[in-house]
Amino acid sequence: MRHLRLKSQRLLLLIAAVGISMISGSAAVWTYAQESGGSGVPEGFKKSDFPAMPAAEDIEAGKRVYFTKCVWCHGVDGGGDGPSADRLWPRPRNFNQGTFKIRHTASGELPLPQMDLFQTVTHGLPGSAMPSWEGILSEDQRRQVIAFVTSQLVKDRKFDDKDTETFTVLQLDSLKPIPPSKESLEKGAQLVVDKKCIECHGVEGHGDGNAFNLKDDWGFPIQPASWHKCWNFRGSRQDPYNVKNIFRTFSTGVNGTPMPSFADNTTIEERWHIANFVQSLCERDAKGNPLEIDPLTDKPKTNFVIRSGPIEGEIPADPENELWQKRERRIVALGGQITHKPRNFVNRLDDVWVKSIYNDKHIVFMFQWEDRSKSVAEGKRPFQPTQVNLDEYGIKEQPPKTGEPDSIAAKQNNYTVYNDAFAFEFPVKWQELPPPEKPRFFWGDQKYPVDIVKWEADGSLRAFAGTGWDQDFEERDDFAEKMKLLKAEWKDGLWTLMIQRPLKGDYDEDTYFEMGKYIPTVFFAWDGHNGDVGRKLAVSAFYYTILEPPIPKETYIYPTVIAVGIVILEGWVLTRRANKRKGRI
Amino acid sequence: MRVILLAGAVIGGIALVVFLVMVAGLLPPQTIRLVEGYMPMQLLAELAFFVAVFTLISYLLKKNGLGIPRFWQGISFWLFIILYLKYRIYPPIPFSVRAIYGTIAMVGVFMWMSGAEDDWKEFKKPILNVLDAVTPFHKALRTFYLIAIPIILWGFSYNSFLPNLDEPIELRTVHPAPPASTKVHGKTFVLQTASNPYRVNAEGKYDQEYSNKLITEQSMGRLLKPDANPWDPKAEGYLKFVREGGEIFFQNCHFCHGDNLNGRGLHAFAFNPIPANFTDPGTLAQLQETFVFWRVSKGGIGLPRESFPWASVMPPWEQHLTTDEIWKVVLFEYWHTGYYPRTWD
Repeated sequence: MRHLRLKSQRLLLLIAAVGISMISGSAAVWTYAQESGGSGVPEGFKKSDFPAMPAAEDIEAGKRVYFTKCVWCHGVDGGGDGPSADRLWPRPRNFNQGTFKIRHTASGELPLPQMDLFQTVTHGLPGSAMPSWEGILSEDQRRQVIAFVTSQLVKDRKFDDKDTETFTVLQLDSLKPIPPSKESLEKGAQLVVDKKCIECHGVEGHGDGNAFNLKDDWGFPIQPASWHKCWNFRGSRQDPYNVKNIFRTFSTGVNGTPMPSFADNTTIEERWHIANFVQSLCERDAKGNPLEIDPLTDKPKTNFVIRSGPIEGEIPADPENELWQKRERRIVALGGQITHKPRNFVNRLDDVWVKSIYNDKHIVFMFQWEDRSKSVAEGKRPFQPTQVNLDEYGIKEQPPKTGEPDSIAAKQNNYTVYNDAFAFEFPVKWQELPPPEKPRFFWGDQKYPVDIVKWEADGSLRAFAGTGWDQDFEERDDFAEKMKLLKAEWKDGLWTLMIQRPLKGDYDEDTYFEMGKYIPTVFFAWDGHNGDVGRKLAVSAFYYTILEPPIPKETYIYPTVIAVGIVILEGWVLTRRANKRKGRI
Repeated sequence: MRVILLAGAVIGGIALVVFLVMVAGLLPPQTIRLVEGYMPMQLLAELAFFVAVFTLISYLLKKNGLGIPRFWQGISFWLFIILYLKYRIYPPIPFSVRAIYGTIAMVGVFMWMSGAEDDWKEFKKPILNVLDAVTPFHKALRTFYLIAIPIILWGFSYNSFLPNLDEPIELRTVHPAPPASTKVHGKTFVLQTASNPYRVNAEGKYDQEYSNKLITEQSMGRLLKPDANPWDPKAEGYLKFVREGGEIFFQNCHFCHGDNLNGRGLHAFAFNPIPANFTDPGTLAQLQETFVFWRVSKGGIGLPRESFPWASVMPPWEQHLTTDEIWKVVLFEYWHTGYYPRTWD
């Protein structure tokens, strides 16, 4: 209804421009201004009353909540400098300036405390260290802590300062989303180009555009969101596939970051098209349904089995090939390596999609993961590819307490660049492991060595033997020769890597694949621009690779035997029943 | 009386509709939230509530001459249990467990139905009617069943004969038996006799009663006691050590164990086994402080075989922290969760 009216208004404006009637033209402009809530107010927003100021006892109660739960990151004075701050990126919010990211208020304005901040505390900010406090703090406690933060810790601005503050609120509840039709998505796809969204978010939306030049208001590097991982959207409110969240962020902008509000230069209709398009890019399953998000972690649910499918003949090297396209893909979650020094507190790679196909001789793994940059180390590294203890080469972890200028957030984008890399390991002689025993996930141990295959962005593909997290690798040159790098391509923020390895090698040194068996597998990824090298990496839990066996004949024979048996049983029951009734009569 | 009964039935009916709408996916599955820590009680109470509602509804219907046949009562109650187990209980329970509960529920329904001879006859009647094909409708139904049952069973058994490629189930002991002693940074700690050097009273003596008075309140939110804020600049002794332990926790441990010590940290989603949830009464509250000290110092790699040392990403903290720092972190964990360390006697 609304956009219909807008169309007619535009038509009227057009008529005015042609000059048929000056009067009707100015009338149209006047109605337009009325419609959008007064002059200077962006479309869809409305000037609003000031939020009520909190009661003194709520502030006092909120202080207790703050000093139990929040102070550890946000600091005693709300400066975002609590004990955890220097090892976090993004850093905890500094409340003092009153700059809050996720809001319903217009760009630059303070948030609505009991709406926006309440939702932030309730749902957390996915992709950052801010968790959801729902179920931990009662609703009252959440409201109280907001009362404390807004009245005591926001220092540079005042929520009741009528001279300098305004509250112009997006009327999200009264705006009706436009269904994500094909037409809407096409318009959205064009609009993200026209409105220059892709300059930062990347041509394919992987967040790779201009990713290394952006800073937030506090001077820390910041990266554009990847549209393919909506569960990491800060404003996803634990409902990541909901277009309203995208519409809101797009309308209000993200204060304190380079993400502006587009309320002034887009119509509401255009914003829905963009929101629909952005939402459509978020990863989905094979049927096109949203991925199942685990409410405990706000990440897609993982299945720890990677299934490799059998084919006859050559395994294609083209990911667009039908054999690959119809192959099921599974998501592997990656966390920072936080077990041994140097720990990786900020891992920029948090998942990888895996597919696999095998034939009678080889198995091919295809890995696809988002990385905002292609990183290839310049010059020759001072250490060997087999070395893992790199402490003496200055590969150190972030110290716990450095202050803002040397914090992990300040160091982002300034690391020495190493090669992007990917590796996966299987136990050697996994057949002989007494279940459920495995080699240690981190490069095996003395008792059970592992077979490691590692690719690096300089084009190398190496095979190693691993015998412990602190033991240098041993090269397996003869096996490396038998492997093949089918593809390693970085395009628009996405790595596609295809590695072929023989199913069978030397039983004592190389993992020997067998059909239908669960073969423990661990994945490792390095982001060169994150300074990842050696033990500084992203790592998965134990997964299992399983080679899907072809369906055996018994699968058809036994059910048929059972069905025939059932038919005979039915006959027997019916005859018995009939006889019994006859007898009774 | 009638009004009360009717009101009860209406409320129950609404609850049932809400539940069914959640099952149909029209409302998010957790519209009525399950409260962490009270889930078993809540679920039992809900089930009892629904049983009462069903009794009430069927009583009212019967009184008004609209009684539901025994057969359908039994079937629908059993279906309700199945749906409840599948859609209401969170986190979801695996199919194998649900199958066991479903079978138990079915046995229960049979016992209920066969409690009295007349009831049992009434229950059997619709089944026998179909078997005997008493009317043309029953005959059609019988023919349908005779054909459908073998086909459906063929499908089921085909599915079960397909090679199973699901995740294998591996059971891990979360709290293994501790060793008698542990050596950290060159010093041997006997678990039975060692104590946390920072759990001290104002006189500097080990005093669990003193520290227990200063931990967070064991109620919603687990907030600090108003006069026991570790961040008070004047905080001394125990409370000061709690703050120092908290600082270490939030520089090292929260990445996995989470900001509320509930095992939902930043990296937790990627790991299996998942990080321990200290707010759960089954972890810290069940353990001696020295046990926690041993687990923290030696980490995943120091676990015995039954606890899967190969899979745990828990660092051996002796590689990162001093002995004093480890004791302080343990002190903080008990303070923040509001639990008392278990004592040896």
